[in-house]
Amino acid sequence: MKKLLLKEKWPELWALLAHEGPLYLPVEEGSVVLYQLWQEGVKVNLEAVNSTVSPKDIFLPREETYLRYSCQGEMLDLEDVESDEPIIAFALHPCDLKAIEMIDRVFLNQDPPDALYKKRRENTTVVALACRQPDPYCFCGVFGIDPTDAPGADVMAYLTEKGLLLEEQTAKGKILLEKAAPLLEVEADETNITVDVKTQDFGLQVEGLPEDLQERFNDPVWDDLFRSCLGCGICTYVCPTCYCFDVEDYGHEEGGERFRCWDSCMFGHFTQMAGGHNPRPSRKERVRQRFMHKLCYYPETYGEIACVGCGRCLRSCPVNLDIVQAIKALGGEKVG
Amino acid sequence: MEEQISEQTVKVKKAVSQDLLGGRIDLLLGWEKGHYWWQSRPLFARSEKDLERLVWDSFCAVNLSRYLQDELKENKKIGVLVKGCDARAFNRLLQDRIVERERVILYGLPCPGMLDYARLTEEGGSDLEGIIEQDGTVILQTKEENKEMPREELLLARCRNCMHPDPVVYDQMLFTPLGDRERPEHFKAVEELERLSADERYTYWEKELSRCLRCYACRQVCPYCSCLECFVEQKSPRWQGRAYQPSENFMFHLVRAYHGTGRCIDCGECERVCPVGIPLMELNRKLIKDINELYGHYEAGLDPEQEPPLLTYRPDDPAAFSEK
Amino acid sequence: MGKANPLMPQTVTVLDITTETPDVKTLRVAGKEGIPFDFMPGQCAMLSVPPVGEAIFSITSSPHCRDCLEFSIKRVGDVSGVLHELVSGRQLGIRGPYGNGFPVDEMKGKDLLFIGGGIGLAPLRSLIGYCFANREEYGHIDIVYGARSPADLVRKSEIGETWPEQPDSTVYLTVDAEFPDWSGHVGFVPSYVSELAFTPENRIAVTCGPPIMIKFVLQALEKLNFAPEHVITTLEMRMKCGVGKCGRCNLGSVYVCKDGPVFSLAQLNELPSEY
Ligand SMILES: Cc1cc2nc3c(=O)[nH]c(=O)nc-3n(C[C@H](O)[C@H](O)[C@H](O)COP(=O)(O)OP(=O)(O)OC[C@H]3O[C@@H](n4cnc5c(N)ncnc54)[C@H](O)[C@@H]3O)c2cc1C
Ligand code: SF4
Ligand code: SF4
Ligand code: SF4
Ligand code: SF4
Ligand code: FES
Repeated sequence: MKKLLLKEKWPELWALLAHEGPLYLPVEEGSVVLYQLWQEGVKVNLEAVNSTVSPKDIFLPREETYLRYSCQGEMLDLEDVESDEPIIAFALHPCDLKAIEMIDRVFLNQDPPDALYKKRRENTTVVALACRQPDPYCFCGVFGIDPTDAPGADVMAYLTEKGLLLEEQTAKGKILLEKAAPLLEVEADETNITVDVKTQDFGLQVEGLPEDLQERFNDPVWDDLFRSCLGCGICTYVCPTCYCFDVEDYGHEEGGERFRCWDSCMFGHFTQMAGGHNPRPSRKERVRQRFMHKLCYYPETYGEIACVGCGRCLRSCPVNLDIVQAIKALGGEKVG
Repeated sequence: MEEQISEQTVKVKKAVSQDLLGGRIDLLLGWEKGHYWWQSRPLFARSEKDLERLVWDSFCAVNLSRYLQDELKENKKIGVLVKGCDARAFNRLLQDRIVERERVILYGLPCPGMLDYARLTEEGGSDLEGIIEQDGTVILQTKEENKEMPREELLLARCRNCMHPDPVVYDQMLFTPLGDRERPEHFKAVEELERLSADERYTYWEKELSRCLRCYACRQVCPYCSCLECFVEQKSPRWQGRAYQPSENFMFHLVRAYHGTGRCIDCGECERVCPVGIPLMELNRKLIKDINELYGHYEAGLDPEQEPPLLTYRPDDPAAFSEK
Repeated sequence: MGKANPLMPQTVTVLDITTETPDVKTLRVAGKEGIPFDFMPGQCAMLSVPPVGEAIFSITSSPHCRDCLEFSIKRVGDVSGVLHELVSGRQLGIRGPYGNGFPVDEMKGKDLLFIGGGIGLAPLRSLIGYCFANREEYGHIDIVYGARSPADLVRKSEIGETWPEQPDSTVYLTVDAEFPDWSGHVGFVPSYVSELAFTPENRIAVTCGPPIMIKFVLQALEKLNFAPEHVITTLEMRMKCGVGKCGRCNLGSVYVCKDGPVFSLAQLNELPSEY
């Protein structure tokens, strides 16, 4: 049964949940919305559909330290850095949860599982928020995602005129709602839930595209598609299904830490090898890698295109070399 | 929104098609519509068919001369559509010896300023359906009613600060020049920051830069960042670490800004493309302002013959920074 | 979490370091109880020296050697550089083993042709050691190994003495050009392979070395009518995680760090040639 949290009680809920552990929710900072830690005074924005940068960094932080080293003379000491904090991820939209499911396949289901990611996934309670009105950039429908339903979430939330309707979907979700119980109304007003939300589809038709692309590594499309690309990393950094990372040390001879951080296949040094050889020497190969990974390689392994139609690359790529442009260039359009 | 082919687009097409189809240029760098009426993206035109897609409208913000560095490797002669800022960017590239003047034909577009979709939706709501432009005003078409606003108020921040809307370098000027503009508020944000204490400024920048994704879009679009190898990727010594720490954020942004001192053409492309809204122009304009105050008024990109102040030496150069 | 974190290294100690060539050194490392993990020939490990970082290297010792792991490391950059500076007794980080390793079972009963160039002997040496230790499982063993100059040949005592003395095996050495102190064969590895005219019948060829050498060796083997299934090589890509997650070492949907680095030519023919 759904329970109502009146608008005026939202801040109380944030404060209550933040007391339990880090609470990430969509925070407005000037022109951008980012999933950030709640603290007194931040401007929470539940109306925004898609945050500027996807919430993947709750599970795969931009930077994550995982070991501390100290070195004395000949001795090297390596120590695990662990975090056991229970995390709450609030107001993630269905497309972003679908994207997390896609990263799960790589980070949880492929041997060996990624311990850091696994820990964060297990420790996080996810409250999903159904979309009421899609953004002009949204096209999740193309990939069969229902913007009002997030099966992977622990709690499903719906915005109504009066506030937020909350419904538990898992045991973790139940615990969360029990904690919030004092703030919730028993009488839930369900009249305002929008269930029939349609996104645009740009005339895309992606069925069969992955199979088709398997033979098109050397397609002439790649000779031109990349030209407008600036070679920045925006598309990969805002995208909820991109997960590439780098590993680096931070410190000095005697002590410091090792962390991993986001990296992007759009950068030249990503594949730069010793001796000067680079298997992806120009933007052409890198653009091909990004789109082929999403549209061909990932589906080859996992059976699904690695795009959830969140529209972030459509919004943020400064030259509109986004996934829709790529799909269209590759012929993934409805005929007629 | 109904696609309107404006008179100006027709005229631009006509001008460039003669050169492209006549073989005077191998490639034309222009714009075409993206998926949305508020997006115009780069067009790499080689044929008559390509040219059909060409547009010149209020969303052609991308600076195309930035592509010359790579495209000149593959093409003998290239035509480029340039707005005021793009032409100054071209001068920057020329001065840095990235492009050869005789291999490029510049079509000058006096620019009334580009519209900012963020501003449009701020005023017209997120379900804004389209706009109609009538000299100097913009009608925002919302679901309920239309709203009329002065065009000037809906421009990209960088265009609201633009003093030279007319290309300063061109082979062919396609429309009547608009004339230079006064921008009394140009350094306003910088002056406000200057009034803060050093600690307050540090806190301000630490917070703003904390959003930086290090996607390097700001560098990639920048006309002064044409280095074949940026310090960011240099290996020995290794200047830039990858940690998302204040020290690394400052390292990137301060070093980049210093590399632009006296070279930044004030086009605001970096700030426009930044996905997380970092006010990069406050940093760049601070340095422009300092240069003006220390070495006399200088505007990079206006005149390729005029040496950037930090590349010249005069015995009486001020050295205020070394006296403290 | 501890050992469960695949990115977490353990520490090993340098037993000794020997200089092989002007830019290659061999490190022998061991944990408290000998080798830190079991592995198969062709597998690799990430070595790390903070704060310089991590890099991946083939394990060059044979799995039968239980008291230490050996790595032959060419100095090309930061990590390889600092590894060259280590002294015995110093600890470093290690994680692994990574990769699929050579198909030692499929190779059983076959004559074997090992073709290596320069530092490319590193992964081959582990395999060669393995085959010699299981001598009865394999047929005749030919080893063709070359380098730019006599000084660049690694493992001189093994290639010059130990291996030629093994039963039913032949070692062919070559260097790229004439040198005063060199009386052996002169010429590039691929043309030496053509000259020696190995027959493809019941033979598997395994080649490791610089990309340019591999390219021409593959051509030479093709001319000698080796079937692509019977030609095996290793690929090198930039690697960071070693476990198929960091996303940089893929050829299509195949990750070289996990699904490779050992591939048959037949497999490579099916993959995008992005290496
Ligand atoms: C499966 C496998 C097995 C291998 N086995 C061996 C072996 O047995 N022996 C051996 O000697 N080598 C081996 N290698 C190669 C070895 O991994 C590399 O030589 C090693 O990673 C170099 O690391 P480094 O830190 O010394 O070099 P780095 O300092 O990382 O530099 C190497 C080069 O990479 C580029 N580069 C690195 N980082 C960046 C960056 N951030 N930005 C731009 N450019 C960058 C530069 O061009 C630089 O010159 C193997 C590689 C693989 C994939
Ligand atoms: S596709 Fe767009 S966002 Fe991605 S690297 Fe290229 S310019 Fe940047
Ligand atoms: S490719 Fe673009 S639309 Fe698809 S999930 Fe990534 S950012 Fe969203
Ligand atoms: S930041 Fe400096 S080094 Fe890097 S591209 Fe710009 S000017 Fe060159
Ligand atoms: S564009 Fe913005 S987020 Fe990207 S590196 Fe520049 S300042 Fe950082
Ligand atoms: S090295 Fe990370 S995926 Fe292969």
